[in-house]
Amino acid sequence: MPEFTLWDITRNLLLAARWTVLLSLIAFAGGAIVGLLVTLARVSKFKALRLLMRGYIELFQGTPLLMQLFLAFFGLSLIGIEVSPWVAASLALTLWSSAFLAEIWRGCVEAIPKGQSEASASLGLSWLEAMRYVILPQALRIAIPPTVGFSVQVVKGTALASIIGFVELTKAGTMLNNATFQPFTVFSLVALMYFALCYPLSLYAHSLEAKLHAARRT
Amino acid sequence: MKLLQTLLATACLAIASSQAAHADALADIQAAGVLKVAVPQDFPPFGSVGLDLQPQGYDIDVARLLAKGLGVKVELVPVTSANRIPYLQTKKVDLVISSLGKNAEREKTIDFSIAYAPFFLAVFGPQEAGVGKAEDLAGKTVGITRGSVEDLELSKIAPASAELKRFEDNNTTISAYLSGQVGLIATGNVVIAAIAAKNPPRLPVEQFKIKNSPCFIGLNKGEPALQAKVNALIEAAKKDGALEQLSQKWFKAPLPDLGA
Repeated sequence: MPEFTLWDITRNLLLAARWTVLLSLIAFAGGAIVGLLVTLARVSKFKALRLLMRGYIELFQGTPLLMQLFLAFFGLSLIGIEVSPWVAASLALTLWSSAFLAEIWRGCVEAIPKGQSEASASLGLSWLEAMRYVILPQALRIAIPPTVGFSVQVVKGTALASIIGFVELTKAGTMLNNATFQPFTVFSLVALMYFALCYPLSLYAHSLEAKLHAARRT
Repeated sequence: MKLLQTLLATACLAIASSQAAHADALADIQAAGVLKVAVPQDFPPFGSVGLDLQPQGYDIDVARLLAKGLGVKVELVPVTSANRIPYLQTKKVDLVISSLGKNAEREKTIDFSIAYAPFFLAVFGPQEAGVGKAEDLAGKTVGITRGSVEDLELSKIAPASAELKRFEDNNTTISAYLSGQVGLIATGNVVIAAIAAKNPPRLPVEQFKIKNSPCFIGLNKGEPALQAKVNALIEAAKKDGALEQLSQKWFKAPLPDLGA
């Protein structure tokens, strides 16, 4: 058994943290794009579409992410579709985060007073134009705190990708703990790195909120 | 997790039984020139990681030995005890060499080679714990890895008042013992040997044996050619002392009789 120095542990954890960052970015970018579409469908005029999206959201919010990852990787290859771990992880994380983001954003869109859309309609704006120029810009401001709050969840949720073979921060932590038997050192470092990833996100949210409020006051 | 495994195993079984084996895995491996092996990375000395986070251990060396015997390259796929069978069933690997124990439930879904590694399960604890048999566990808490063979076995024989605290992997079970969260731990001889080598403050000693269960190599059902070849290679490695050498290297003990 090789002897691990503190630097060896830190170095390996930092290397693994790259995957945590990359998976988070994929989950968040993919989730934001799909989530926006789902949000729009969720508040659209068509009842069937609204119900369909509601089902989509309930499905992905109501089942564990671990299971979604598992099914995306092993389930798809059982029915003959070969997927790489990257495809499976991107797919599962995107679907999962889009469901949560869509529900957060639906709340934000519906929080905008009805008079705003009525006023837009009376100005002759189409539904899409009203969304783009009137409703969404206002909803954006309310959406920032819960969205950032959720993005912190996404960062921590990527740890589950280890079930399909990703050696990200948490997985690297358990592997190192196994080789070193120093749980306190290893997991303290893991926790610190998660904090270092998540805290700047929260800070950024605060500054964004302040900025958008100021813009509103002028 | 347990439910998930059962569900998936059932699904796999249904699909596996509905389709005949069209290809011969041994021929496929030789044609590809690569043997894909699922190996552990959280279970020293079978498999753990080195300074570069690459897997190393008894199972990894056995995988290399087999690949050499087959005349192909080896590709190591690190797995956990929760996902090693799905990796095999979905043909993402050819063999599982991952301290795999044999039981009737598993034999329904996959096939096994002959035994290739020594392994016995026992309850361990501090010298003064004084637990000599399963009945002595009454009122005590035992740390155990969920879904492992020791979990299945100890659940059968432990008295109702004994609390089995289940953890997701071996590593967490060990941590729980070392940090004092559980007073006793049920695990394998090899795990304890690896802990002992690190000189922890609460050195676990054997209290009583639960089961002697050597490890087998797992492979998909309906692959008689691959199975025969793997068995022949293990037999040869037993005879020429290669396994003995690996046992000395990783378990620091001579290779016991593994049986059939």
